[in-house]
Amino acid sequence: MAPRETRFKCLHCGHEYTGTYDPDNVTERTCPKCRSNSVRRLPDVKPTEKK
Amino acid sequence: MMDVGRHPRIELMTFSEVESVTGYVGNFQVTVRKKARYVDASECTACAECSKVCPVAVPDEYQQGFSSRKAIYLPFPQAVPSAYILNMENCLGNNPIACGKCAEVCEKKCINYDDQDELVKIEVGVIITATGMQVYDPTEYDEYGYTRYENVITSMEFERLICAGGPTEGHFIRPSDRRAPQTIGFIQCVGSRSRDGRGNPYCSNICCMNTVKDTLLLCDHYPGIEAKVFYMDIRAFGKGFEDLYMRSKEEGVRYIRGIPGEVIENPDTRNLTLTVENTTTGRLEKHELEMIVLSQGVIPRQDGDSIRKLLTLSTTSDGFIMESHPKLKPVDAPTRGIYLAGCVESPKDVKDSVTQASAAAARASILLNAGKTKVEAITSQIDTDKCNYCGICAKVCPYNAILAPDRKAEKAPIIIQAACAGCGACAAECPQDAITMRHFTDEQMMAQIEAILEVEPHKHLLTFACNWCSYAGGDDAGTARLQYPTTCRLIRTMCSGRVDEKFVWHAFRLGAPIVLVSGCHFSDCHYISAVRWTQKRMDRMWNKLDKLGIRPERLRLEWISAAEGQKFAKVMREIEDAVKAVTTEEIEFTMKVLAEEEAKNKAKKEKRKAKAAAEVTA
Repeated sequence: MAPRETRFKCLHCGHEYTGTYDPDNVTERTCPKCRSNSVRRLPDVKPTEKK
Repeated sequence: MMDVGRHPRIELMTFSEVESVTGYVGNFQVTVRKKARYVDASECTACAECSKVCPVAVPDEYQQGFSSRKAIYLPFPQAVPSAYILNMENCLGNNPIACGKCAEVCEKKCINYDDQDELVKIEVGVIITATGMQVYDPTEYDEYGYTRYENVITSMEFERLICAGGPTEGHFIRPSDRRAPQTIGFIQCVGSRSRDGRGNPYCSNICCMNTVKDTLLLCDHYPGIEAKVFYMDIRAFGKGFEDLYMRSKEEGVRYIRGIPGEVIENPDTRNLTLTVENTTTGRLEKHELEMIVLSQGVIPRQDGDSIRKLLTLSTTSDGFIMESHPKLKPVDAPTRGIYLAGCVESPKDVKDSVTQASAAAARASILLNAGKTKVEAITSQIDTDKCNYCGICAKVCPYNAILAPDRKAEKAPIIIQAACAGCGACAAECPQDAITMRHFTDEQMMAQIEAILEVEPHKHLLTFACNWCSYAGGDDAGTARLQYPTTCRLIRTMCSGRVDEKFVWHAFRLGAPIVLVSGCHFSDCHYISAVRWTQKRMDRMWNKLDKLGIRPERLRLEWISAAEGQKFAKVMREIEDAVKAVTTEEIEFTMKVLAEEEAKNKAKKEKRKAKAAAEVTA
């Protein structure tokens, strides 16, 4: 799978930011605001299907 | 090198590349591609007759492009074996033979245009990796004009120019007009200790002393030459190095503390004007020099990633191969039976490389002489009855210690005990719970969780800490007398990769307000890439918590190294505040939801089992 832009959320300070996520090369995540590593990759929002 | 070439028990395979490495300590199977050299090395006497008649001339890589070589050539004067090599990319004609002059003059008839690459399979007990490094290309430092000005050269190019075996036979000349320069400047730390996005942040270790040596050579060969060194710090640690530095100063070499900001060439004289802030005097200075040498740093090999993958090694953030332990196992790779020597591990000089190589050889011989190896009793084992041959364990294992299962043949995976390092990632990822990690079994882990949360669970901060980093970070915090909450309870695992999802769910079910998973930073992971699986698992768990209506904030993740006692204490204090913010209602809701979830899963499992049993009966 190719790297893609993803939203991340820091579970310590609540800061949300966009970053690159590569499922084949998982890298260490650090919140740019508070330096915590409890950074959750928010689930991708699926586009709504057209009827 | 000559001794190695002549040694009866050493087989030297030059111009060869390792294609694949399989197996484990004591039983490595290595496939080596011996590239076609089109010259029979055993017959070639290096008479050079072939090279004399070759009509092709290309830049000589060994001489840094200052001279040319032929298509058939000796790579460098002291090459072992001392045999010529034919570069087919440069040769005028292979198929059909358009030239063939070299073959005509070769008396020994050792040139063979039809030579082919050969794959050789060898079995070895241990592997020593000594693949070296590369020098940094300073072209991105445009202010020094390396690509624009002929008289700006690198330290490697300087080396060839001053060498008696070099293109100028040791006569140091400047490239623009081929006369000996009277003033020369050395710019240090080109590509090293850089924080501006260019080059590398680390110190390349060898450049300072290399420049000191170069200035002494110049002073010795050309008395009266004016040499200036522009530096930020001269790092002359090591036996006799400070003396050498002092000798260079006594010879009249001027050391100016400051890294130049600009180099401009005078088009008429081809002299170079360098602007620098002398940080000792605080003044802006201009120096006119006839030649400038850029003291380039060293970088990991460009093909380092393929070496890392071949040998299942890991790299530090600098890109060099990581050792098993920086203090206790500095020459051992994390994969058992593989040792490191020289600049593959970090930039180092000849003396340190030889020291490390001797240590690696000694470590290897211990293993080879013993003929057997001891494995810590923390390896994994598979319950073949539970296994459903999904193969996740083989995919997860950072050491390739698990032979993948065969679903069709119903052949369960096999764990090679000698290769298993005991990270426990396979046990944590196995969806069937078919893998047990000795001494860190599910039962043992669950019992620890239950013991911690037996009394007043809502007050305790349950932390999973990896043995090598986070747990040691806690130790560091303790020895430094750093204060952190007494309610913190640590469960040690060998790697954070061992923290199974069910441990976390069990803790929450028992009323844990917050669970913290902590491990090594990615670049410090003692189990190559096991920590990456922790990160993936955490994402899965956060998503599940969200889905169940439980705040994902209650599951925390922190990477804490053994030296980060302060971070450990800070994290614990912060999480203690978060623990206090979790309400009793929230904990009760979590316990209820997870208990229902567990019951649901149990029922599903039973149903599946019954279905499978019915199928078997039918």
